Amino acid sequence: MSKISNCREKTVFSSANTNVSGYLVSHMIVMDLKSSEDILEMLDSFEKVVLFGDSGCAQMCDVGGILQLEDMDDFLTGHGKKVLGYIFVEGGMCDANALKQEIDANIEMIEEADAFLIQACGVATQAVVELLPEKEAFPAVDSKFLGVMPERYHHDERCSMCGECVLHLTGGICPVSRCAKGLLNGPCGGSMDGMCERDLETECAWQLIYDRLKKLDKLDNIKKIWEMKDWSLARGPRSIVHEEI
Amino acid sequence: MATKEIMCCWLIVLLVNLEENRTLVDTRLKSLLERGEFVVTGEVGPPHGANHQLVVERTRLVKDYCDAINITDNVRGIPTMSSMTCAHYVLETGAEPIMQMSARDRNRILFESELYGAYAMGIRNILFMTGDHTLLGSHPQTKMVYDLDSIQALGLASHLMGGTDLAGDKLEGTPDYYLGATFNPYADPMEMHVWRVEKKLDAGAQFFQTQAIYDTSRLEEFMKGIRGYNVKVLAGIIPLKGPKMAAFMNRQIPGIKIPEEFIERLEKAGASLKGAEKRSEVRGEGLRIAMETIEAVKKIAGVNGVHIMGVGWEESIPELVKGTGLHPRPK
Repeated sequence: MSKISNCREKTVFSSANTNVSGYLVSHMIVMDLKSSEDILEMLDSFEKVVLFGDSGCAQMCDVGGILQLEDMDDFLTGHGKKVLGYIFVEGGMCDANALKQEIDANIEMIEEADAFLIQACGVATQAVVELLPEKEAFPAVDSKFLGVMPERYHHDERCSMCGECVLHLTGGICPVSRCAKGLLNGPCGGSMDGMCERDLETECAWQLIYDRLKKLDKLDNIKKIWEMKDWSLARGPRSIVHEEI
Repeated sequence: MATKEIMCCWLIVLLVNLEENRTLVDTRLKSLLERGEFVVTGEVGPPHGANHQLVVERTRLVKDYCDAINITDNVRGIPTMSSMTCAHYVLETGAEPIMQMSARDRNRILFESELYGAYAMGIRNILFMTGDHTLLGSHPQTKMVYDLDSIQALGLASHLMGGTDLAGDKLEGTPDYYLGATFNPYADPMEMHVWRVEKKLDAGAQFFQTQAIYDTSRLEEFMKGIRGYNVKVLAGIIPLKGPKMAAFMNRQIPGIKIPEEFIERLEKAGASLKGAEKRSEVRGEGLRIAMETIEAVKKIAGVNGVHIMGVGWEESIPELVKGTGLHPRPK
């Protein structure tokens, strides 16, 4: 599948964006489209398909915005499929109510479909499965990580969802997700000239933490032993019920 | 004597030996370091397969030249025979093992389990390390563990020596170890690596082996940083087989810095020669560089010995120990 050529103006998502040093930075579940071969193989025995996308992470990652749904439509049509139409959720498909409203508004198309192709994260695919269990929903993308988008098409990992944030101790730089080994007691012996042993492009997270804490005069935070982490907090399936305020 | 009786006698001898090992509190490594001897440890690479006889052969090659022998633990994420199994064969060959344990491949449950097993087999010296990233080895698709880091793993071993496991449950048999750790004087930021040495001491480390040293000035600077600590340090030595190995190590082995000057010396030694003659001259130069490094680290205050890593060239260890006047080893 050809890479999407998208010239849409960048939309401002007030809930997902923060303004750092004057430029727009977006945080999201970062995704990548699966290969065209994989997508065709998943849909091999199905003819009539409905495509799903949203204006949240899926659109920001250029995998499930309107333009990518149109590209997918052209691609599948070119390979003998019949694309009945799109379900596009403003916000994210993880909002099950918003997703249900869109489905209800297009129920005839949904009933006619053989299968659904979800151009959003794994949460979205499962949300569709739970709402429409009689038919199969397939993931068009691989969900990669939680990241920041310093510029369009560029994504860097920033959070591992470990369940117990330590950023207040590390000057706002995460050792769990940004150290290639997730170390909690400082850099390993492979940290040299500010770079990680893993490859020439990856910065050593502990060098970044050290430099920042030095500036903040908070190096004491990392001089003492950090005890073993409770990884049970990082293990799924997890659920949270917030109390209403 | 009937076969059955022979078996019985053999079993009794074995049990007595095991019993002796269990009551061994001071390892040879520990007593030599505490006595103030200049200690030599060597490294034996475990077989890349199931032939334990190779461990016996490699141990025999170096055991008269080392006070204790390190068994590496899946270096660079390339699977080799388990360090605990190899340490057992080192013991059986009549040498003292230092069993390496990396935090990359074990969670806290396996650390505890293996630490019990190692003690039961008579292994007392345990060295903890972070472990190389698997993207540098032959199994890059693997899932790395890092439930603990090397400092927390040291703390875990110290905890077990108190007679309970991490849950606080009483142990059926309390182990006792001589715990070691590593540091790399070339790693950045140096101040943070000095603190890591302090953290490792707090977690129970009693001796340290360093990454391979070439340019000794950085080690000198590092040793000044840890001068106030009560710490035993063995400087790492890897003899270079040739300029290609040196370039490979600079590129692929984490934390290694070999100065250009040494690479040029190796190139010059083999220039205009071919075949076996070239090989011998180049390796001779590699040994000379290693011997110069050993002599240099001997003079650095706070260095208590050397740790020689043959990296597949175990034959170099006797040469280096003899060549630097460190043979015979003290009893």
